[in-house]
Amino acid sequence: MATTTTETKMLTLCTSDKQQFQIEETIALQAVTIRNMVEDECASNVIPLPNVNSKIMIQIIEYLKKHVDSSVSKEDMEKFDSAFVEKKLSEIFDIILAANYLNIKNLLDICCQRVADVMKNKSPEWVRRTFNIVNDFTAEEEAKIRKEHEWAFEGVDED
Amino acid sequence: MSSSPEKPNLDSPLKRPPSWSNLWVKNKKAFNHVLFTMHLQALTKQHNQSTLTPQPNKTLDFNHPTLVSDRTSLLSDEILLHILSKLPKSQRNSNSLVSKRWLNIQGRLVRSLKLLDWNFLISGRLFVRFPNLIHVDLVNGSVISPRNSGILLTNKLLSLHIDSNFEPKGFVSDKLITPVDEIDLGLKVLASGCPNLRKLVVFNASELGLLSVAEESPTLQELELHRCTDQVLRGIAAFQNLQILKLIGNVDGFYSSLVSDIGLTILAQGCKRLVRLELSGCEGSYDGIKAIGQCCQMLEELTLCDHRMEDGWLSALSYSENLKTLRFLSCKSIDRYPGPDEHLGFCPTLERLHLERCQLRDKQSVRALFFVCQAVREIVYQNCWGVDDDMFNSASICRRVKLLSLEGCSLITTGGLESVILSWKELDSLKVISCKHIKDMEVTPTLSTLFSALKDLKWRPDTKSLLSASLPGTGMGKRGRFFKKPQDWKSLLDA
Repeated sequence: MATTTTETKMLTLCTSDKQQFQIEETIALQAVTIRNMVEDECASNVIPLPNVNSKIMIQIIEYLKKHVDSSVSKEDMEKFDSAFVEKKLSEIFDIILAANYLNIKNLLDICCQRVADVMKNKSPEWVRRTFNIVNDFTAEEEAKIRKEHEWAFEGVDED
Repeated sequence: MSSSPEKPNLDSPLKRPPSWSNLWVKNKKAFNHVLFTMHLQALTKQHNQSTLTPQPNKTLDFNHPTLVSDRTSLLSDEILLHILSKLPKSQRNSNSLVSKRWLNIQGRLVRSLKLLDWNFLISGRLFVRFPNLIHVDLVNGSVISPRNSGILLTNKLLSLHIDSNFEPKGFVSDKLITPVDEIDLGLKVLASGCPNLRKLVVFNASELGLLSVAEESPTLQELELHRCTDQVLRGIAAFQNLQILKLIGNVDGFYSSLVSDIGLTILAQGCKRLVRLELSGCEGSYDGIKAIGQCCQMLEELTLCDHRMEDGWLSALSYSENLKTLRFLSCKSIDRYPGPDEHLGFCPTLERLHLERCQLRDKQSVRALFFVCQAVREIVYQNCWGVDDDMFNSASICRRVKLLSLEGCSLITTGGLESVILSWKELDSLKVISCKHIKDMEVTPTLSTLFSALKDLKWRPDTKSLLSASLPGTGMGKRGRFFKKPQDWKSLLDA
């Protein structure tokens, strides 16, 4: 890896299911939340991450390990990213939550993009079914909104 | 994975599906659906699974058996906003129909909007749905038009539906236009609902309406006033941060309203920070343009569209000391009596002159225009009428031209082009498109030498001479027939 010094500083991360992960500090510090904890010295040796389970943590560490490596070309990194998000949607949602909590901007971004890609050009009915969203509009409300879309305005934002 | 052997219920698509695999089935095309239904009836449960699983399809992701709750409910508004912002704008309306939460979040993403129904604004519904608007166009909402009439009347500036009861004087009678007091009321409502407005397009407002916007929306930078009059401009000074202004006075066939020197002077004294100004269908003369030049010191771009200026106005342009771009759009004339050269003056900082859809048949006015614009670096002609060699030759007074673009000017010949551009020593970009009297075969060796020295050349005078601009070095096409003599080509390569 990047560090060549004899002693690499290690951090221990403790997930919600009480699993402990020992990883190099340089890798872990990419997560802003962890960096803040280390800088504020509010964490001793073991950093508790109560919002992340071990299954997701493994994937996040995989991502962080790749991204700490500055020798990887931009192209390869993009390839890695696009392969990384080829997961089940349920997992992507979990990673989004974890990435948001750990504050890893790029990871959050690529996962959100993945969800957006799935939703692209899909009908509201499809979106509701896929994400199990309850339609809380009454028939009148829905009709009103549809009518507004038809007659009341036109979006002019450009793609 | 689970698959129930019962036939998927297509009649109620909103009903929650019993399993993910069924969901998957419903979303496939009808053909697949029929096939699968047949399978379901004919095969055992095991077979069903084996027909589903081997397909390498992304939708397999959804064959997830234990999804019960709303996945998006765990996401914070910010994350959902982030995801929705990555979707195409065309999907916004559709996403708003998913649920109340989505309606709300999707609405926050909308920044620009064209109002079509005035009541949508007056009722306040506009702000409930779109709290973050910064750009609102009220023009179409201000015209009461029969939207389902099937007759669409279109102009560059305005496009609306009309019925067959139009009035002989103009298509848009006063009956069709929302009265001024209602417009003003709407502006008041708008201003209090959208305090962060940056750009506003209004139609038929009065100065009172403008004042209420100016008070509530100090951030407004860009304003477009359709059916503007001198009177309306009395409100303009209240916009302290206004930088871009477009005034539309007369629009042929739609309406006519008067912006004259009075309005231009009020405008000049009120909007000292103006950077871009467009006058469309406005009257006025030397005095109005002079006032603008003297007061609006920051003015960089002036556009005149279908102008009705009195003769002699052109000599006032030189008062605009920082003008960088001058554009003429759809002008029937430039200035028929520009007066003697010594009174014309010129704009020393002018960099670009754009002439689009203009009639340039009057030699004297074209000559005067180039005299005023003698410092320009870029000249663009687009679909102008009447530009023949003689007229085009007036441009040779400009000595610093670096870029010339000719498009749709069918009277200029190869010789006419050559005599002008050979006099421009600094020319490094040339674009010639759809000019049928400029011909490949007539390109002289001198001209081809000049072409090879250009940084950028786009040469497509007619459809027969499509030259690839990708050739490195010369930027010219690979076809030898471009040159009369093949040895010219070789000597170029050697040099």
